[in-house]
Amino acid sequence: MTTTSSYLPAAMAIARSVRELADVFTWTFEVPNGFAFKPGQFNMLYVHGVGEVPISISGDPATPERLIHTIRAVGTVTRMMGKLGEGDVMGVRGPYGSAWPLDQAKRRNVIVIAGGLGLAPLRPAILELLANRADYGQVTVLYGARTPDDILYRKELETWRGRFDVRVEAIVDRAGRDWFGPVGVVTRLLDGVPVTPDDAAFVCGPEIMMRFAVRELENRGVARDATWISMERSMKCGIGLCGHCQLAGSFMCKDGPVYRFDRIAPYMQVREL
Amino acid sequence: MDDLERVLRAHPFLAELEPEHVKFLVGCTKNVRFHAGEHLMREGDREDTLYLIRHGVVAIEMPRAGGAAVCIETLGDGDVLGVSLLTPAAAHLDCRARDSVVALAIDNACLLGKMTEDPRLGFAISMRLLERTYQRLSRARLQHLDIYR
Repeated sequence: MTTTSSYLPAAMAIARSVRELADVFTWTFEVPNGFAFKPGQFNMLYVHGVGEVPISISGDPATPERLIHTIRAVGTVTRMMGKLGEGDVMGVRGPYGSAWPLDQAKRRNVIVIAGGLGLAPLRPAILELLANRADYGQVTVLYGARTPDDILYRKELETWRGRFDVRVEAIVDRAGRDWFGPVGVVTRLLDGVPVTPDDAAFVCGPEIMMRFAVRELENRGVARDATWISMERSMKCGIGLCGHCQLAGSFMCKDGPVYRFDRIAPYMQVREL
Repeated sequence: MDDLERVLRAHPFLAELEPEHVKFLVGCTKNVRFHAGEHLMREGDREDTLYLIRHGVVAIEMPRAGGAAVCIETLGDGDVLGVSLLTPAAAHLDCRARDSVVALAIDNACLLGKMTEDPRLGFAISMRLLERTYQRLSRARLQHLDIYR
């Protein structure tokens, strides 16, 4: 993707649109060679005449020419996005923001904890972990969803789970008798995972879930400086100028969305910040 | 009896309990097995047994009209079922073995008697029950928030 200005979106047509869940869909854009992103980064997607929103890139970093975004229709812009389909043209600019520290995690066990749509920003990191499996210790993916019908990327999770070199567990908040997996909060899955203080953890999901997950990781010896989370705030410019996503001295669009937990923790507990 | 004592000592709920207290509990305990689909307890049953799950999965279910049930939590190896020991409560949910479940069943009346007889044991068991109850309450609160919505 080439734009002459950080503010200027490139016009791109939706090449593929897939309904993931009732209110979640995944778009694929075909972008020119030369575009690259790091797992954890996001783009600003612009619906003409409606507005612009930050959306994490959920595609495979090994094939950046297929730019993938998974979106939940939840606000004015994303609900309008839900009405668009293949061939419709969007404005796209990016990529922006920080990335999951995959280099720092090399030779260490990596625990990935995702909740709900939080699996989307982690998907590129998981794909890179699996593509370079020998570079890491044990890789564990723990995923929590509301119900079995709300599990994102279900087929892909099943494929990952079929591998012998990665542990993948999913848990739901509630289920009928046709679900044979565990039921409860995502942190329950940590009970069955051997955790060492040297492990690296990547966590993404609702903020409350992330706080619980980090606390449970800490209880098991994983330090705050070995845990990274992806934060979500109202971002507008994407380049740290407008201040919409400012959190104390940090701009989430530029310094985040991926933060080492010890650096962001003091602000997470400040009310109304 | 020796075997039961060894199994009791190995259960996480009783970790670090004084050896003489573990011995004391043997008389209240028996090994039980439930087949898949069997209920450990049903809504309305008097909770007269504390189950220490050794192996298997127990589904905590809210029964609904028409036979369908909503599972709100699963418990597994090392978990405890029937934590309302200290209150004379009736079960408010169904607890169903989802696969073959092996557990230690401790008779609540017998256990309460031992806890009364030896307050140190009573304190140790009460603290463990309180910890498990708090953990379950925390999880229930988080689920109640419906955070993935």
